[in-house]
Amino acid sequence: MSLFEGLGYSNDKNVYIIDIGSAYTKCGLAGETGPRCIIPSTVTNSRTGKVTKIWDYRSTAELHENLKELLSVLIFRYLLMSPKDKRVVVVESLLCPTDFRECVARVLFRHFEVGCVLFAPGHVLSLLTLGSACGMVMDVGYNETLVVPVYEGIPIMLAWQSIPLGGKAIHSRIKDQLLDGGVVKTSQHQDIPVASVPDSLTEDILEDIKVRCCFVTEFSRGQAIQDVVLRGADASKMPTPTPAIDYPLDGSRIVTVSGKIREQSCEALFELDDDERSVAALLLDSLMQCPIDTRRELSENIVVVGGTAMLPGFFHRLKKELDTLAAMPRYKQTLGVKTFKFLKPPAKENYTAWLGGAMVGALETLPSKSLSRDAYLQRGRLPDWCSLDQETWIDDRTVQRR
Amino acid sequence: MTSLTKMATFMDVNLVRYLCTCGKRLPPCRLYLCRHCLKLRCADCVQHEVDSPYCPNCLENMPASEAKLKKNRCSNCFDCPICGHTLMTRATSQMVPSSEDPSKSTPKKMYYMACSFCRWTTRDGGLADQSTSNGGWKDEENPEAKRINTLLESYRSIAQREKAEKERKKYVKRRSHAGFQDRYGLTSVAMKWKIQPAMSNLSVKETEKVPPAPELVSPVEDFDPLPSEIFSDIVQLDKVTYLSHRLNAPEFQPPATKDLRPVHKHLLVRRSLRCRECDHNLSKPDFNPLSIKFKIQLIALNHIPEIRIMAPATFSVNKETVVTFTLSNPSVYSTVVKLLPIEGDTDLDYMTAKVDLPKSDLVLALHDDTAVYDDGTKAQQEFKDDPRVVVFRRANKLGFAAKVTPFCKEGEVKVSFMMKHEFRNTAAAIQSEDKEPKLEWLEHRIFINLGRIQL
Repeated sequence: MSLFEGLGYSNDKNVYIIDIGSAYTKCGLAGETGPRCIIPSTVTNSRTGKVTKIWDYRSTAELHENLKELLSVLIFRYLLMSPKDKRVVVVESLLCPTDFRECVARVLFRHFEVGCVLFAPGHVLSLLTLGSACGMVMDVGYNETLVVPVYEGIPIMLAWQSIPLGGKAIHSRIKDQLLDGGVVKTSQHQDIPVASVPDSLTEDILEDIKVRCCFVTEFSRGQAIQDVVLRGADASKMPTPTPAIDYPLDGSRIVTVSGKIREQSCEALFELDDDERSVAALLLDSLMQCPIDTRRELSENIVVVGGTAMLPGFFHRLKKELDTLAAMPRYKQTLGVKTFKFLKPPAKENYTAWLGGAMVGALETLPSKSLSRDAYLQRGRLPDWCSLDQETWIDDRTVQRR
Repeated sequence: MTSLTKMATFMDVNLVRYLCTCGKRLPPCRLYLCRHCLKLRCADCVQHEVDSPYCPNCLENMPASEAKLKKNRCSNCFDCPICGHTLMTRATSQMVPSSEDPSKSTPKKMYYMACSFCRWTTRDGGLADQSTSNGGWKDEENPEAKRINTLLESYRSIAQREKAEKERKKYVKRRSHAGFQDRYGLTSVAMKWKIQPAMSNLSVKETEKVPPAPELVSPVEDFDPLPSEIFSDIVQLDKVTYLSHRLNAPEFQPPATKDLRPVHKHLLVRRSLRCRECDHNLSKPDFNPLSIKFKIQLIALNHIPEIRIMAPATFSVNKETVVTFTLSNPSVYSTVVKLLPIEGDTDLDYMTAKVDLPKSDLVLALHDDTAVYDDGTKAQQEFKDDPRVVVFRRANKLGFAAKVTPFCKEGEVKVSFMMKHEFRNTAAAIQSEDKEPKLEWLEHRIFINLGRIQL
């Protein structure tokens, strides 16, 4: 069909696809079906052994050093390819702070001397894995949940919504419950309260308890629990608790993760707060901001990405919540849609956006859409998604020279 | 040498640091000297390059293209999916029906893999034993691979079309007279045909093939509820994988331990370092992973004189203390070293003490590998040293005294000065084919942390 077919696609040029999430970093090569690695977004100081989270930075200088370290781990431990003149796709959130993206660009262009970088919004990329141009993309991440409606490939910026509910909120819920009445069995067969050893509940342990013990309970049980816990209904209404798990804290101590903790921790995502907002309500709020003639299409193309959405039972619950909330008076009159349909991307939720990046990276049009090193060095900064002169940044001539 | 000197080097290399060209302060063992720019470089200000990938277990090395094809993993070595230890192949015999007489059974050697650390075996993962010792272990395939690839194909054809259109626009723009002809009605069907073959390579013929729109998946309306067992059954925690186990296989992320599969061992690489300014190699390892030698290794420790603190001293405020430093020469030429105070005292925030350096030049004897076998009587007579400055001299080393007066009340005693030394540039000598290597003077700024003030 064309001269180019068979002569090699741009994926032969080994395009790096990097998605630095707040908890985990996904990294791999363009054109592949899954990332090469998913590692925590942390760096370990080689001298002191101290682990620092990438996103916990006090100054851009610190962030710069940490990003250098993280990217060199990705490049020299996992990708094993010299970074010079490589093409890179960085998957980013629309809410990514400017100093963070500037720092990523500086490290990539100046330290690793890559050829060109494409900063692509994760929401649009997630839709790309489905071959669709419209959809409500909900990213349930570690720090927050963000909903961005995308219509005909363009994010409706008026309607984005976010709420600080995600993996971290579940972690703190587990921690609070354990500290409040949790019991640790020691090797001397003594029962001591967890509150006396609060340091043993590290972030890693909490995450592990969440992943291995907790689940998102069913809608009816969830409602009953919320009635009792939040709205002061009679304790006898509480559903029969699920069996407890003896969770080994270390070699000698065992903490009991009660059925209550297992079932109720994830309720943090679905409880309506003082502003009547939850993860499910967020989606409806966002839909309400969208033009009315796009709502039907959007509500029938809901895409959920992000690692927290991988909790067992999450999708079932979300769907039920949406149905119930939509029938409530505050939405019923104005929303205009009744049915909600979901699209399942061909990837696990935690690397869906990455996969979209891997697809963009494998296309021939990549260099014409990304920012070349020459253009970056000339200007010394990055175009933001909202800057209107973006087209002139990607100069045809610089692309030709590459 | 006292054992304390050795301690200061081996235990805490960060006491004496040199200023790298990029502004970082690092011990000389972490610095490189570019022979072409004659500047110090550190790991942070050089370009790292991937040299040769190899398997850390079987030490097989392979070209980068092959490693890429194998997704940077060794095809023969496996890691335990639970603890990451290397798996070992175990042999076992199994009774199989004999080929001659189906009623009889004969023993057959079968192989499986086991972890010698955590006792996980491929049988735990429900994998059948293999008849060959070196594997034949089938890799899982991403169940969505087909869907992804179809989608990718359709995106590719769209992208191709977009690119072709761009090319054509350029082409048409240049032939501006085409429009001119058109105005006079000169365009005929024949004309069109004349142009088209030339461009058909570049563009997708619009009438012919519009790339098919990517196939849409049907939306999901209802999701399966949680299995009812989750509310009643007791969970066996050892059957549930950790998140790190799941992320080891990003495309599968199995939640149950029975679905874990052996992991192909990840390759490692040897890195070579290149100076960003002159593009010369600063470090290049041997290609063969069995060899620990380097083809090029320009570590600063091998080229510039090294300063060490000989013995710890006790300091108190505004009191002069004599500190002995050792200076050693790694070069095969005798080297003159000058120690100079910082001019203008611009960096007082580092220094917390005044230092009186030897005013005279210090001459270091050449580094001789056989010097350890000498009794040291000869070399000492060659130099006329001031005994107040040079405390001792042995082979390529000397000890010099400097008076340090701390002016801070508490905390660490830190001094800084310049070291100027001769350097014989052997790299330049090869180029100009001179017999005697060119003499250069190099200057480095030194930062020394001498210890805390006695309170």
